[in-house]
Amino acid sequence: MKSLSRMSLIALGVLWSSGPLRADDQSERQARWKDIETSLFGTRAVQSGDGVIALDAPVRADDASLVPMGITLSAKQPVKSLYLVIDDNPAPVAAHYTFGPAADPREIKMRVRVNTYTNVHVVAELADGTLLETEKFVKASGGCSAPMGMSDEEAMKGMGEMRVKFAGDATPAKPVDATLMVRHPNFNGMQMNQLTRMYTPARYIQTIAVSDGPQKVFDLETGISLASNPVINFAFVPTEKGQLKVDVTDSENGHWEKTVPVPTLSN
Amino acid sequence: MARVAPLLAVLFLMVAGVVRADSPGHVPEPAGLWQGALHGYTPNTVAGAVVVDTAALEKLAADKKLVLIDVASADKKPENMPATALWFPNHRSIPGAVWLSGAGSGTSDAAFAVAFERRIADLTGGDKTKPIVAFCHPECWGSWNAAKRLAGLGYTAVYWYPEGMEGWQAVHETAVVKADPEWTASMSGGAER
Repeated sequence: MKSLSRMSLIALGVLWSSGPLRADDQSERQARWKDIETSLFGTRAVQSGDGVIALDAPVRADDASLVPMGITLSAKQPVKSLYLVIDDNPAPVAAHYTFGPAADPREIKMRVRVNTYTNVHVVAELADGTLLETEKFVKASGGCSAPMGMSDEEAMKGMGEMRVKFAGDATPAKPVDATLMVRHPNFNGMQMNQLTRMYTPARYIQTIAVSDGPQKVFDLETGISLASNPVINFAFVPTEKGQLKVDVTDSENGHWEKTVPVPTLSN
Repeated sequence: MARVAPLLAVLFLMVAGVVRADSPGHVPEPAGLWQGALHGYTPNTVAGAVVVDTAALEKLAADKKLVLIDVASADKKPENMPATALWFPNHRSIPGAVWLSGAGSGTSDAAFAVAFERRIADLTGGDKTKPIVAFCHPECWGSWNAAKRLAGLGYTAVYWYPEGMEGWQAVHETAVVKADPEWTASMSGGAER
């Protein structure tokens, strides 16, 4: 009986395909996203985020290990958290941001690795629990195994060094754009060292927490899909004596922090 | 122009002299299986097998019933992933392919060779003239090794598709393929990967 049902499944598969080497690509991709959605959100409904979330991603990426992702949000109510999911990456959740009171999550940019042609999803969770999603298909491949083109030692030089740039001077209580740059190879364990021909052991960023004084901007949970030497663009609402603090942890218990004063307008 | 010619000849020789034996397009075929790192530039040919590009593979598939074997390795879970993080590998391949994860190993392990021989015999129904295509990724010795093994086993219609899944994906849809259970079971018996 068991083998019979398997046989009929195979027969069905043959019927579905319309010729040699044909796939039912679309429905498989949808099924994949359903599986991921269920493991992240259980039975909660995820609605279309059209008009609220926009994902700017290249249709075809030149460098699969550095694929730029730009997320714009225009929700009427506060955004509680945000997921960036690269469906066909082995660890699909590239980023999960949880925003704090100092966040201004209108626009987030970051760069990720893409393993194979895949759908990319962004899900925003609003304050009332509503989940909104948007989707883009990205043609890029090999980003997870792309080596850095240098020795591991060189790639790890200055690991944990950070820079924060602000787009001009800030005015308290008015949003300011910031760019965070972290030096870290973010080795995913799938890259081969070109010199030794050995796989470079995984060592990757797991969390990045950004706050302004006691006010949280965001907590980011990330992993092997984050590009080497990550650059994250975000916006926040500085406090009176803005002190932006960044905490980074990685998979080998590395921990780095940096605090920078937010340049304010002295009028 | 006549005066430039000798200079050009010298330049050409200089450039030719610099071409390394292991640069793309200049990799010699090893006598046996390749036992070095699987990721790297591969030869243009494999003795006993026909090299096919995407167009040739399309044509082959239209004419004949093929056994497609994908020998790409499974994604390796990185260490220290938080328990809450989602590890959910998804293997995309050429539709209809049988995924024999790690079957491109160049190991001289006897148990591995036996497992490979048995699984291929099953897949071909013991027909040594059945067309078999081996592939994995570009610049991957795994499929080269698999083609080499197949030729060594006496299969007479062995094809090597070096462009691999990525070459296929550039122009065609792909399918999610699960690891072949029989192969996985034979490998978990202790045979070297």
